[in-house]
Amino acid sequence: MQKTKELSFPVASFEEVFATNSGAIFQSDSEKCWYIDFAGKLARFDYRNLLKLKKAIYNVNIEEKLLSSDKTADVEIIFICACDHSYVLSLLELIKLKELLQGTFVMLDLNHIIYDRLFRVIS
Amino acid sequence: MKDIMRVKCLLSEEVETLINQQIKKEAHSSSIYLSMASWCNRNGYDFSADYFFKQAEEERQHQLKFFKYVLDMGGNAVSPDVTNIKQEYNSFREVFEEALEQEISVTQSIKNIAARCHKEQDYVTLEFLNWFFREQREEEYKARRAVELFDVIGEEGTGRWQIDKHVGQISYDSEA
Repeated sequence: MQKTKELSFPVASFEEVFATNSGAIFQSDSEKCWYIDFAGKLARFDYRNLLKLKKAIYNVNIEEKLLSSDKTADVEIIFICACDHSYVLSLLELIKLKELLQGTFVMLDLNHIIYDRLFRVIS
Repeated sequence: MKDIMRVKCLLSEEVETLINQQIKKEAHSSSIYLSMASWCNRNGYDFSADYFFKQAEEERQHQLKFFKYVLDMGGNAVSPDVTNIKQEYNSFREVFEEALEQEISVTQSIKNIAARCHKEQDYVTLEFLNWFFREQREEEYKARRAVELFDVIGEEGTGRWQIDKHVGQISYDSEA
């Protein structure tokens, strides 16, 4: 029987780094960037911007916001300098995005360890 | 999946943060020395003022050395805010005692970075830090000798004038 020829499309390949019920982060090796699927949009972040996003999200004091009884809107605007995307998040979304980022960075660390152990050792 | 994080930057996030703290510390040190130089000059201790001007410049160089290292390794070097610089001192001796205290705190904080590097086997940064350890030997030696002059010469009579004259002559030339 003749083997069917596999079709190959020039598609940018994504790999899921980490996902939760509320979103997911993918890595594109060819573009050297990450795609964040969260709050209804897919946004592209390069290395610098991903770190800036992480810093911006981690710097929000969630506990203080939860305990605050101010009559202000429960919304946080995450704006990153020199980045095409910004987020306007409710407190719940903020917690979810933080969870997503935390998981992602653990996975990236793990990937680094795997690389060191498997590919970078002299065999 | 490629290890993009490592490809972009040699430093771990923790080490980068620690070095950025050190950059701030060196900048702070430099400003303190400048304020000490100002105090000494205002009070007539010309040689000590020169000594502190030189120290301020050295600390600034250390700051830049750390700064450039972070950038060279692909990290993000943060230009620090420098605030709360003490401008007044109660006595000539207090200036030198605080200068020594400052050097000790710098040494301790570099040791702290080295400890972290050991933990994560960052031998590259560790090797970079060696230069600073040698430098701190000299800095602490000079600061300690300066404070000792107050006991050796004594502050009575023309003592402080003598101390001021000798401060600039302290040098460290150990080859060890």
